[in-house]
Amino acid sequence: MPAGRPGPAAQSARRPPPLLPLLLLCVLGAPRGGSGAHTAVISPQDPTLLIGSSLQATCSVRGDPQGPTAEGLYWTLNGRRLPPELSRILNASTLALALANLNGSRQQSGDNLVCHAQDGSILAGSCLYVGLPPEKPFNISCWSKNMKDLTCRWTPGAHGETFLHTNYSLKYKLRWYGQDNTCEEYHTVGPHSCHIPKDLALFTPYEIWVEATNRLGSARSDVLTLDILDVVTTDPPPDVHVSRVGGLEDQLSVRWVSPPALKDFLFQAKYQIRYRVEDSVDWKVVDDVSNQTSCRLAGLKPGTVYFVQVRCNPFGIYGSKKAGIWSEWSHPTAASTPRSERPGPGGGACEPRGGEPSSGPVRRELKQFLGWLKKHAYCSNLSFRLYDQWRAWMQKSHKTRNQHRTRGSCPRADAARREVLPDKL
Amino acid sequence: MSQREGSLDFQADSSISPLPLLEAKIHQTHSLARLLTKYAEQLFQEYVQLQGDPFGRPGFSPPRPPVAGLSAPGAGHAGLPLPERLRLDAGALAALPPLLDAVRRLQAELNPRTALLRRLEEAARRARALGAALEAVLAALGAEPREPRPEPAAAAAAAAAAAAAAAGAFPAKLLGLRVCGLYRDWVSRTEADLGQLVPGGPA
Repeated sequence: MPAGRPGPAAQSARRPPPLLPLLLLCVLGAPRGGSGAHTAVISPQDPTLLIGSSLQATCSVRGDPQGPTAEGLYWTLNGRRLPPELSRILNASTLALALANLNGSRQQSGDNLVCHAQDGSILAGSCLYVGLPPEKPFNISCWSKNMKDLTCRWTPGAHGETFLHTNYSLKYKLRWYGQDNTCEEYHTVGPHSCHIPKDLALFTPYEIWVEATNRLGSARSDVLTLDILDVVTTDPPPDVHVSRVGGLEDQLSVRWVSPPALKDFLFQAKYQIRYRVEDSVDWKVVDDVSNQTSCRLAGLKPGTVYFVQVRCNPFGIYGSKKAGIWSEWSHPTAASTPRSERPGPGGGACEPRGGEPSSGPVRRELKQFLGWLKKHAYCSNLSFRLYDQWRAWMQKSHKTRNQHRTRGSCPRADAARREVLPDKL
Repeated sequence: MSQREGSLDFQADSSISPLPLLEAKIHQTHSLARLLTKYAEQLFQEYVQLQGDPFGRPGFSPPRPPVAGLSAPGAGHAGLPLPERLRLDAGALAALPPLLDAVRRLQAELNPRTALLRRLEEAARRARALGAALEAVLAALGAEPREPRPEPAAAAAAAAAAAAAAAGAFPAKLLGLRVCGLYRDWVSRTEADLGQLVPGGPA
């Protein structure tokens, strides 16, 4: 019987039947004619082939004088009848088929090649496995959550499309000793990932690689060497609070707590803050917050709701010199800046009665600031706080002036007074 | 009461009402059968989809490989006395789990890491649960219990099914189709038969 002719590099892998009590099959009796699938045999049975290769198959009806003959038999592949010119009758009981340039299998359980009698009944079937051997997996990346576990992700070679079921196995071992271990918890963060939950050593490097195997072959990734301490990440900082800075309309204060799982190790941890206006999708990132657990955002718009998130990088853990891995962002926390009490260009309901002289408000303010500074400044390195104090004082005094000028007729100022939160400085 | 069987004749004497607890149990078991009929249909559809065409195509009429120890509800099933029907239902539900387990093992090779494997496992559990509930109803009604299926025979049924499928992937697919079809048919049959026990159900 002509066998399938796979392409040059293919291994036509026949799966041997499992060791099962075939005697029971005999005890139950030979398949009856009415069961259809047992009145003919297709060869080869379940071949594995490379994409683009050819296949020659035969359907041989059993020697039943009353049964069908090769005349009238036909083939279907995945339910579709194959053109008659692909078939030829070899003898009275055998119909041959020649397929060329095979496409990849439609389903991982195999393409269904079926031999039919003239009346359409199924006489026999065989599943074709047409695909590609796996390519080398690459781009392995790993991280450890709080030094307790290790999760790795990789990219399958050729973007994973082999048309055959391909098994990926993540292996790891201690670099200088120990046996190979196999990761067991797959698909934890996506289809090509694995999680090692425990029994990991610190201060000693691991070698990690991925093996890909299917019916047509196998491939192994490059080995990644890493120390668990160099790939540590942690939980997002909990208890993120955002609050106003007194009445300062362009500032918000952000405070958080170190992630508790690593709180005793985060001496050199870095934090990042990002914030955005409520109805915007653009985040602004504040980098280099160093290892503080509070920060003040400045230059914000007055009367605006902001969403704020914080994340942590456990840099320098146990003396690691590597960059560390940022945690996820904390849940967004929102707060609003106070509304502006001073009329800006173009707006505000609180126009002052007399109007301002045209010498310019900035210049006038600076003059006032310098005058105030002479009276109150006593330590030059407290300039930032001093500036805040001055601004707070200016706002208070401006409010008082407005009350004298326009008694109760400034709805925005009134609203601002209601919105002001207790000073948390 | 049927003198021949010494048990309640459900068809002839509809004036006898089951006790409230028994009635609740019958309702419950009927509801379970109804739910499992839906799941069985879903399992069947998921199964044919994963095997690929022509499985699942309208008009697909494959050969039906013999499945040791279980056949489809016969054409005469509906004409049998209700107790007999329920006994046959219980017998089928007891035979199904090892067959579903065998199909799951075969599909673990053909369709590894698919949700189908979990569904087949669930189906086996559900068949056991419905079978046990039905046996309890039968016992409460005083019907004669079905002949117990010896364990080795149940295991042999699964092994024989697996052996038959060892002929190749296509026969394995056919066997699974047959078993999923039988599961669907028998659960649906059980729902219909129990429906006749439910007060107010069809006579």
